Amino acid sequence: MNESATSMPQAFAQAAEMPDILPPVRVRRGLYGFAWRHPTMAIGLLLLGIMLVVAIFAPFLGTDDPTALAPAKRVREPSAEYWFGTDAFGRDIYSRVLYGARVSLLVGFAVAIFASLIGLVIGLVSGYLRALDGTVMRVMDGLMSIPPILLAIALMALTRASVQNVILAITIAEIPRVSRLVRGVVLSLREQPFVEAAITAGTSTPRIILRHILPNTMAPLTVQATYICASAMITESILSFIGAGTPPIIPSWGNIMADGRTLWQVKPYIVFFPAIFLSVTVLAVNLLGDGLRDALDPRMAKRL
Amino acid sequence: MLGYLLRRVLATIPVMAIVALFVFSLLYLAPGDPAAVIAGDQASPEDVEKIRKSLGLDRPFLVRFTEWSLQVLSGDLGTSMFTGLPVTELIGQRIEPTLSLMVVTLTLAILVAVPIGVIAAWKAGSWLDRIVMALAVLGFSVPVFVVGYLLAYTLGVAWELLPVQGYTPISRGFWPWLENLILPAIALGFVYIALIARITRATMLEVLSQDYIRSARAKGLSERPVLFVHALKNAAVPIVTVIGIGVALLIGGAVVTESVFAIPGLGRLTIDAIVRRDYPMIQGIVLMFSFVYVLVNLAVDLIYVALDPRIRY
Repeated sequence: MNESATSMPQAFAQAAEMPDILPPVRVRRGLYGFAWRHPTMAIGLLLLGIMLVVAIFAPFLGTDDPTALAPAKRVREPSAEYWFGTDAFGRDIYSRVLYGARVSLLVGFAVAIFASLIGLVIGLVSGYLRALDGTVMRVMDGLMSIPPILLAIALMALTRASVQNVILAITIAEIPRVSRLVRGVVLSLREQPFVEAAITAGTSTPRIILRHILPNTMAPLTVQATYICASAMITESILSFIGAGTPPIIPSWGNIMADGRTLWQVKPYIVFFPAIFLSVTVLAVNLLGDGLRDALDPRMAKRL
Repeated sequence: MLGYLLRRVLATIPVMAIVALFVFSLLYLAPGDPAAVIAGDQASPEDVEKIRKSLGLDRPFLVRFTEWSLQVLSGDLGTSMFTGLPVTELIGQRIEPTLSLMVVTLTLAILVAVPIGVIAAWKAGSWLDRIVMALAVLGFSVPVFVVGYLLAYTLGVAWELLPVQGYTPISRGFWPWLENLILPAIALGFVYIALIARITRATMLEVLSQDYIRSARAKGLSERPVLFVHALKNAAVPIVTVIGIGVALLIGGAVVTESVFAIPGLGRLTIDAIVRRDYPMIQGIVLMFSFVYVLVNLAVDLIYVALDPRIRY
């Protein structure tokens, strides 16, 4: 005790005399530091932020009514008056594309949240309670054997076209993947010493799940949720594009592209503007997901 | 070994049963009244009742499910509500273009993605690797119909290099058949290539850091056999797994790709069925594709045995 107290200042004194071998570590703080450490996440957040602003403030960004028909102004090429041109019904594509951001982001976020929550509950229960595991996972295997887009198509064929039903259909198609992931994490956590210690100490099962297992599933689940958001936006656009998604009157990117489908060889801009917005938004969410994955699990960062 | 194969084959039966049960139950699980939805807004109550009867919704679930399962087991997927023809017959008429598209895409994707992934892992951290990884992220972000329209417009419409629309049966010659499928296959394969390349790179990175790779290099082997024989063989199991799982992407994407390139396959059949609210048709297509998907993944499990002699559960 006494020895170490005297030797510490000496070590510091020596350290001061040592030559500078390493350059001083520059700690970057604030927004700039964040962007420096996590460039992919920063780019993703920036792009997603822009899209959010576009979606929220769509009425104030020089848009007209996105559903207003104007047969006299059909298929106008992009110009100063119609920035992205007009479609076969004379509707302003710039307005429709901007309002379309609302549908895509709403569907993406809603599906990510609902699928994560439901998948989390299923995964926690079946991963921790072995009695249920076999049955639940067989059902999930079965569900996963139906290609997600086809499952969503089948559900949409039976319900009225609406944004809510699109969210419901895609959520159901995404749940198996989440519950599989959570179950896998729970299975490995169960064997960890701290969980065994909690069991030995007589902690009740619900408490172990909530206090010891649940917090440790959050990191992989958050990453998965961003990927689900991205894939839900793609699925929504595909469903709308083939006529099994949002009602045609709603300006969603898939619907705008579906409207331009018959004319795309002569008027490609109808298809391309929503396509660019869709791709950029999905890219933003994917970059955010990759950034989160690298930040939350540095071991994975090197691998993928 | 025979025991493993037998167990794997038998294990697909409950999975297929659950798929069938779920696809069938959708009619009962869907919110609202499916009969009214299918009939449309202008339908009279009598029409709705007729559709309810034809879907069997007026009878108990278990009775209907038993009848339907026996039907499916005997190879009958029901009757299309719009055309009145058997669903299996309609699927049979349209299966060639879709099957061709998927086979060409699968072949193309494996031939492109695996070497790209191997080279990216070999040159990990280089600019080549970075470009491949960036393209992979892009592959996950750009939806299949966007890639489709982009390719069709640049290579097809603007430069007139390849046909943009339609399908030529293989009976009319190999090249005309392939020519029509090149653009759709690239469009459909884009995300699939990204997926396979990424997994190949990740697995190869792991394998390349193993001791036996160092030994192989130390005994003087040149890089190509080290990469493609020693390393790739041991990285094969995860790659093959992802190729199997990714077939779901191909199936979903094929529906859209066929729409973009006007290919008269199962995708078109699906879209027509959606427009006409022909539920038995949709149900039959979903069931058929799901079974195909289960069988593909069964095949993957069987390939494991050939790839890795350690797998003998």
